[in-house]
Amino acid sequence: MDGYLITLWILRLLFLAMLYGFLFVVGRVLIRDLRAASRGPAEPGRLVVVASPRGEPQVGVSYPLDAITTLGRDLASGIVMDDPYASALHAVLTYRNRTWYIEDKASTNGTWVNGVAAAGPVELGFGDEVRVGEVVFRLDRGRS
Amino acid sequence: MTAPSRRDTRIGANAVRTGIVLAVTFALIATGAGYWQVVEAQKLSTAPDNPAVIAIARRTLRGAIVDRNGAWLARSVKDKNGEAQRQYRDRSLSGVLGYASARYGTAGLERAYSTQLLGIGDADPVHQLTAKFDPRPVKPLTVELALDLRLQEAAVAGLGKDSGAVVMLDPATGEILALASTPTYDEGAVSNPATADDAFAALQANANSPLLPRATQGRYVPGSVFKVVTAIAGLDSGAITGTTTFPQQPGAEAKGLLVDGFRIKDGHHPATGGTALDLVGATEVSCNIWYALAGLAIGGGRLVEEAAKLGFGAPIPFDLPTAASRLNDGTGSAPGGFADDVELANAAFGQGGTFVTPLQMALVAAAVANDGVLMRPHLVTALQGTAGGARTVGPESWNRVLTSAQADLLKAAMQQAVEGDLGRMYTVGAAVPGIPTAGKSGTAQVVGSPDPHSWFIGFAPVDHPKVVIAVLVANGGHGAERAAPLAGLLMANYFALYGKP
Amino acid sequence: MTAAAIRFQPRLRPRPRSTELGLLVIASLTLLMGAISLGATERYLAASPKGVTLGALGFGPADPFGIGLYVGALFAVHAILVLAGRRLDQVLLPAAGLLGGIGLLLMQRLPQDLVSQQLGGLVLGLGRLQLLWLLVALTVITVLAVGVRGDRWLRSYKYTWAAVGIALLLLTFVFGSDTGGARLALTVGPFSGQPSELLKVILVVFLAGYLSENRSLLAEESLRLGPLRFPPLPYLAPMGAMWAIALGIVIVQRDLGAALLFFAVFLALLYTATGRASYVGWGIVLFLAGSWALYNLFPHVRIRVDNWIDPFRDPSGAGFQAVQALYAFGRGGILGVGLGNGLPTIGGHMPVPAVHTDYPLAALGEELGLVGLLAILGLYLVVVQRGLRIAASLHDDFRALLAAGLALVIGIQACIITAGNLKLIPLTGITLPFVSYGGSSLLANAIAVGLLLALSDRGPQPPPPPRRRLRLVRLGRRRGATA
Repeated sequence: MDGYLITLWILRLLFLAMLYGFLFVVGRVLIRDLRAASRGPAEPGRLVVVASPRGEPQVGVSYPLDAITTLGRDLASGIVMDDPYASALHAVLTYRNRTWYIEDKASTNGTWVNGVAAAGPVELGFGDEVRVGEVVFRLDRGRS
Repeated sequence: MTAPSRRDTRIGANAVRTGIVLAVTFALIATGAGYWQVVEAQKLSTAPDNPAVIAIARRTLRGAIVDRNGAWLARSVKDKNGEAQRQYRDRSLSGVLGYASARYGTAGLERAYSTQLLGIGDADPVHQLTAKFDPRPVKPLTVELALDLRLQEAAVAGLGKDSGAVVMLDPATGEILALASTPTYDEGAVSNPATADDAFAALQANANSPLLPRATQGRYVPGSVFKVVTAIAGLDSGAITGTTTFPQQPGAEAKGLLVDGFRIKDGHHPATGGTALDLVGATEVSCNIWYALAGLAIGGGRLVEEAAKLGFGAPIPFDLPTAASRLNDGTGSAPGGFADDVELANAAFGQGGTFVTPLQMALVAAAVANDGVLMRPHLVTALQGTAGGARTVGPESWNRVLTSAQADLLKAAMQQAVEGDLGRMYTVGAAVPGIPTAGKSGTAQVVGSPDPHSWFIGFAPVDHPKVVIAVLVANGGHGAERAAPLAGLLMANYFALYGKP
Repeated sequence: MTAAAIRFQPRLRPRPRSTELGLLVIASLTLLMGAISLGATERYLAASPKGVTLGALGFGPADPFGIGLYVGALFAVHAILVLAGRRLDQVLLPAAGLLGGIGLLLMQRLPQDLVSQQLGGLVLGLGRLQLLWLLVALTVITVLAVGVRGDRWLRSYKYTWAAVGIALLLLTFVFGSDTGGARLALTVGPFSGQPSELLKVILVVFLAGYLSENRSLLAEESLRLGPLRFPPLPYLAPMGAMWAIALGIVIVQRDLGAALLFFAVFLALLYTATGRASYVGWGIVLFLAGSWALYNLFPHVRIRVDNWIDPFRDPSGAGFQAVQALYAFGRGGILGVGLGNGLPTIGGHMPVPAVHTDYPLAALGEELGLVGLLAILGLYLVVVQRGLRIAASLHDDFRALLAAGLALVIGIQACIITAGNLKLIPLTGITLPFVSYGGSSLLANAIAVGLLLALSDRGPQPPPPPRRRLRLVRLGRRRGATA
């Protein structure tokens, strides 16, 4: 039994142990993420299309919403609207403190809530209708 | 025109499912890795072309091989350059030891026990673990053989210039006391890197095949020594007893026995006249006709079965590679693989398609000698050393082929063959002076050669035999010419060394 | 990106990435420990034949400059990601970085003259070249992770990308040079690369675009033939084309690995997009039929398959590489023999030919044992899992498929090469991502990881719920003028 060899083997085994240590910590992160994902509110709300003169998106299609959802023509938006009357970034729909708010983002044609032009953040309730461009949406409760 | 964006859990779920399939595949791959790294690890790590094994072989001193009295037979020493050099005591052991050459690999015992001689064939997991902490983990083992060097040297000297083999063993334990094959060769010349190329080329060019270990792998027509097998088969199967006679046998002596139109001749014993022989009588005079009839009475299938109990039909499990002895080539449609009764009759007295190894015939005699119990033959009695894997090998019984009474009967028959008035003529010189000896000689007619093989198998003393011997001198003439006297000489030598009983 | 979009992005602030930092610390310490053990082993092996007293040897790492530079680069990437402030996945970089580090240790351990390149006066050996490529790869990851904001350049030009891919493929068919049996490389000046590596990323991009565009059609309108479903006829053509391309790669390029990889990724993405297992079933039938035909028609395929089934039949000829690799695995056992201590040389050469490209797992299996091998497989699973999770959380079909495809291409490639090394499938000449030597391989996998990181952007953090007394109008003031 040689002392150097024993130390050398301890080093080698430590290396292997640390590899597993890394995997273990990653595993914890993954489990934490999974738990967070399943704990969050499934869907705080949905936007349902009630009127669409161009036919696209179709009436009845519903979009699930996040805590912050952007509407607009830009491809990076949460809800992409292929509508010439919608601006690139048209409006932002946020859910805070269990209340929905919609805010127009300096769009060319404005955002209308129940027929009234929205100026600044406006509170929304389930059933309220929002018009962006030519499309009219209705805010509905989320599916679980 | 882009599709409206919508979060669709279906892609997510599908992706998760694909991920699970991939994870399962990884698990299967991990199992595969486990197979190679755990299950097959031992076999892979000791394969001779594994570079780690080659590297160890190059720098380790191979373990020694010693005989039963501790005399060294093969050993490694470091020469002046620090390289390992393999030395061999005697060329009489070439058939057993083989050689260990860096270029030409290993043969014989050097090959069969290579992992132990190198010290790497260790299966003990605790030892494997502690070996990691040892700067010199490789500990070669010493292989101790049951061989007696003196008996071996006498056997080789006795065979002289002829090709042949001698097997001597202890019937009670199965230990092999001598295993000689001639011609021999110089193992040291092949193992020494300086002379290896020339030596090996010369060996391969030699028409007498010195590299063939005749005792274990040479197959020869047995002739009359095979009659002992037929006798064992007959007694054990009940087809013949001590008093069985065949009425047609005396009459067929003059003109030969007709079997399916084929005439079997027997010219060896006009002295018995018209008496019908029994087992003892037929063995004493080596009557082909009696044995042919006995073989027909036993039947081909039964004969092959009984022979299998003695080790026929498959390579004998042994420390060295062996060739399988057989009664026929197996292509016949009659029971046992014989083509017809003619072939069966011929095989019953050791001609026809019968081929045996000297080791096999020694085992046949050993079975009779040991009261009908055949012990497993073994050459290696112990692996000595401090490494794991050191062990001793004890005697192990293999098969019972005869009852004690039947064995006594056959022993008496074989004793008559050596010491009886008529028998003596066929086994000249086999009897050990002063010690009751039993045995059987054989003169095997060989197709294509005027000289038959000379065979003898036997044991002494008849009660509680201490030594069994089988001698073959290829193309040596009648059994009595070479094999029988040599056997007598070697057995006498044994008693001189070990004391008379 | 449009001006409005730029205005929309909240001003980026540095955001701490503590999980990533912690994981990087563990990974760096692991790599350091590996380097120390490698250094000690090298010193031990050099000293033992001479009989130097072992106690006098020290315990420093093997190539402190190389490992130090690599670890430093990892932390530099981390710092840049922190400064960029986007909420990207925090596990991908450490996992891929650890794999790259293991590969670097392996390349440092192998004889440096297996590969050498002249770079103005300096001659770089295996370890240094791998380090160089790793640094380039890390740069690519950083640039992609921070710079890629939108996906129009990928999404809208998928047919352009497909054309580029096919052009590359044809170029290699025609001009490629044979490097050792099967892989074809394209040589441009002093650099030679393997286009099939880049092709796999282009393939994923194209497939993501094509499948996302047509996925509802593919899933819903299918031909029914009894209980079986075929995709609708107009779409069978591209799928058939995919199969034909795979066959072509095998026949012309003799690259079984790339063909298998492309086809497997295609099937996996097809399933992810449509959810129809029957399409995958048909794909497997096509694969088996194609393999059988190739086996019987083409001798080079037959040689590979026969060699796979029983390499011990010709252990010093055709089966040499496979047999030696198995011996390496056997020597490793459960705990391995220690980094740097394996691979006994045959006449001064490595026992396993091409161990740095084709058989890295044999070396790692011997030196790190079954335990280490399982850990490496675990790391690949982590990368794939993160990628698939990113895919599952994305809203957009194209992005989701792209993320899934990139994750799967890394995972499936690791599967194929690992199974080949272990004689579970015939050996193919593809590389082990992040570990094998090879600039093209590292770059292509870096592109994949970089894009995955960019896709994992979870957007701005939702602002915390305001305290009850604040009025809403404050929000409006910060966001600019209202309509």
